[in-house]
Parts: sequence; C-alpha cells; structure tokens
Amino acid sequence: MSQIRQSFLTKTFALAAKDLRVEMRGRETLPPMVAFAIAVTLLLAFTIPASPTLRTPLTLPTGAVEAADVLAGFMWVTILFAGLIGFARTFEVERQDGALDAMLLVPLDRSGLFLAKAIANFLFVGAVELFVLPAFVILFSIDIGPGLLTLLLVVILTNIGFVSVGTLFAALAAQTRSRELVLPILALPALLPIFIASVTLTSDLLSGIPLNEVAARGWFVILIAYDVIFGTIAALAFEAALD
Amino acid sequence: MTSIELKQVTVVFGRTLALDAIDLTIQPGIIGLFGQNGSGKSTLLRTIAGLIKPATGRVMVDGRAYARGDESLRGELGFAGHESGLYPRLTLQENLELFARLYGTPVERIDATLEELGLSAEGARQVGSLSAGTKRRAAVARALLHDPTVLLLDEPYANLDDEASEKVSASIQRWSRPHKTALIATHGAKKVKAYATAGIILQRGRVVTRGNYEPRFTP
Repeated sequence: MSQIRQSFLTKTFALAAKDLRVEMRGRETLPPMVAFAIAVTLLLAFTIPASPTLRTPLTLPTGAVEAADVLAGFMWVTILFAGLIGFARTFEVERQDGALDAMLLVPLDRSGLFLAKAIANFLFVGAVELFVLPAFVILFSIDIGPGLLTLLLVVILTNIGFVSVGTLFAALAAQTRSRELVLPILALPALLPIFIASVTLTSDLLSGIPLNEVAARGWFVILIAYDVIFGTIAALAFEAALD
Repeated sequence: MTSIELKQVTVVFGRTLALDAIDLTIQPGIIGLFGQNGSGKSTLLRTIAGLIKPATGRVMVDGRAYARGDESLRGELGFAGHESGLYPRLTLQENLELFARLYGTPVERIDATLEELGLSAEGARQVGSLSAGTKRRAAVARALLHDPTVLLLDEPYANLDDEASEKVSASIQRWSRPHKTALIATHGAKKVKAYATAGIILQRGRVVTRGNYEPRFTP
C-alpha cells in the first residue's frame, strides 16, 4: 500500500487539533481553569481597592507597596494556578482506553508529541488569559496605555516557558497516582524564575515606567533565555518522562 | 522478510519476573501466542512493540532495534493491546482519520478497513459509546489501517461473538503476506489455530513449546 509522506509539523498539528477537538466535546480541562480564574479574580476585586493610580501605595503588614506590584503578582498567581489545573489533565485524554500506547507507537519523534501537547496547553492558558487580563483591567481600573503591546509580549513569552515546563512535568506526574498533587510540587520550583520575571515586568508596565527603562532592566532577556533553555530541555526530556 | 528476534530478554515488574531470559526468533507468518493468565503473553507483545524496555537482552525487528530518531520501525508495527487505543470522545471515523494522517495512510483506506471488520455503520459514533466487542474490532481496525508488516494483537477475540470473530480472522488472513509477521496472543486457541502457521506457548515468562502448524503442529 502506498504511504503518504507526512511532515513532522503536519503530524504535530494533527495531534494538537485532536486535543482541541476532544476538549470541545468533553469540556473537561478549560471550564475548571476558567472557573478557578473567575473565583480568584472576583475575590481579589472585593479585597483590593481599585486605586486612582497604580502607583498608589497599598498598606500591607510588611509595609507599603505600590498597587501595581500587588496586582501584577495576583494576576500571575491566578494564571499560574489556573494553568496547573489544566496541565494536570494534559494526559488524561491519553490514559482513557489506552490511547497513550497507540500514540507512543506512531512514527513521530517524541518531541512532536511534546509540541502537540504544548500547543494545546498554550491555547488553554491563552483562553484563561483572555478572561483574566480584561477582568483585571476592568475591576481594578487599570489604564495600561502605551504598554499594552509590550504586556502582550510578556504574556506570550511567559506562556511559552510556562507551558513547556508544565507539559513536561505533566508527563512525569501522569505516571503517578496522585498526579494533581505531584504536578505542583515538581513544577513550581522550576517555574519560579519565569514568574518572577513576568511579575516584575508586568508591575513595571502597570506603573507606567517608560518602555526603554523596562527593557533596560534585563528581565526580557531572562524571559527569552528561560523559554529557549527550558523549552529545549523539556522537548528533549519528554521521551524520558513518558518512559 | 520481517522476522522478530529476542535475545536473552528479561522483563521484571517489581519482584515479579514477567519474562525470563527469552531467546526467540519468529519468522514471518501468523503465530499464535498461548498461555495461562500471567504467563507473559501481553508483556512479550508490549516488549516487542517497544512499549516496555527489557531489564536485560534486546529485541530486533527486521534486524533493527528501536532507536531514538528512527521512527520508521514504529511505522511498520500494528499493535492492539487490551484497550482500544482510541479516543472515546472522537468518532471511530475521526480516530481512524487521525491515525491515517499520523501513519501517512490514504484516508480512502479507512472505509475499506471498516467494511472488512463490519464496522461501517459505527464510523459516525463516538468510540466511548461503542460496546466492548465493537471497540475490540475498532482496535484491530486501527492496528491494520496502515498495513503494517508486523502485527501484534493481544486478545483480539475478547468480547466478540462468532460472527465478529470470523470478521477479525478474515481481516488478519487478508492482511497476511509471505513477508509479514503476526503475533496473536489469545485464550481462544481454536480460532487462531485455524489459520496460524505456528504457535508459541508461554509459561511463567518462559517459552515452553513452539512449533509449526504446517503440515501439522510439530513441537
């Protein structure tokens, strides 16, 4: 029988499309992520006062901090934990009816399986952010102005590293019985650097610090370096994680 | 000629010795794999498929071992384990289209495969809603879809009535060619012996008997 030569990317996108189609039918991953994000954002809206300016100091037991710092931190914490809820379900679809075995036998490098899962997770996290970011802007009267595009760049760069590490550790955690508990324990220490960078950058942008000053602080370099290093490590280590 | 060769293959699960230093060369043909529960049939199939890495020894398919970056060997395998290996939320047709794309198989072959196994009417149904017997046939359809040269089936007759069993047997025989190798693990020895060219009996992780059925079984 004649075979059609399919490229690495064609197969990878077919697998990612499969994950999205399964999610559209089952709605088992995105709803809990969004529900968590809604709950946390609404709770914060009742506890943190909307500030006239984001440089207004908020008094905390540890001292006064700018509202921008607090909001940036809470926004990324919300995204981080919503993402982890989704990542924990990454391999559930493969576990049902032994689909993972069938998938491990297809003639596609394991990095293709990793990339497909990472693409699906990227879109799930992006969907949560489509809710979280506007909600923060509206509920906390944030006027980000010219920094909007830069903030979107921060979000995209953060997501790349976040889903790379999250997908890798989801594969490791999937081998255990308590995968929902194991995933945060494994992933959080590895995710700290990228979230420190993204919180700092977001805080700077919300505070209205000029873009050239934000760029000069070097956090963008950390974000990009993290994406490249951890993205590569995750793709290479994925095969071992599945074994 | 697609032969399978196992050299001193040992598989251990915790303290359980699942395969005990198996030396086995399997020549092309349809080979029945028999043995009691826990004799190592499934483990042997999964080890040959590369899903289990042996503690010692090596597995060669067509003279080649599994190697990272060499995906061609996986493309030659058709494997159906205890579970269907299909996505319950997708229809049977969507599942087979996915696997056709991953194996580079023309999608026109899906209809023919479904027809052969009596599954044409089930194509539009989600796999999760299929009966156990229909899922079993669907798993065989997935394994046969890309016309592999090595076919590994684990209990393909489980939950099947006589009519469905005949369709599975006919599909396997239609797939068979002189250069292809099939290894079929089953408790229903009669069904496989009807068309198998050879048989292997496992006991406690060791090969205790093997021989050809042509012209008659000669251990």
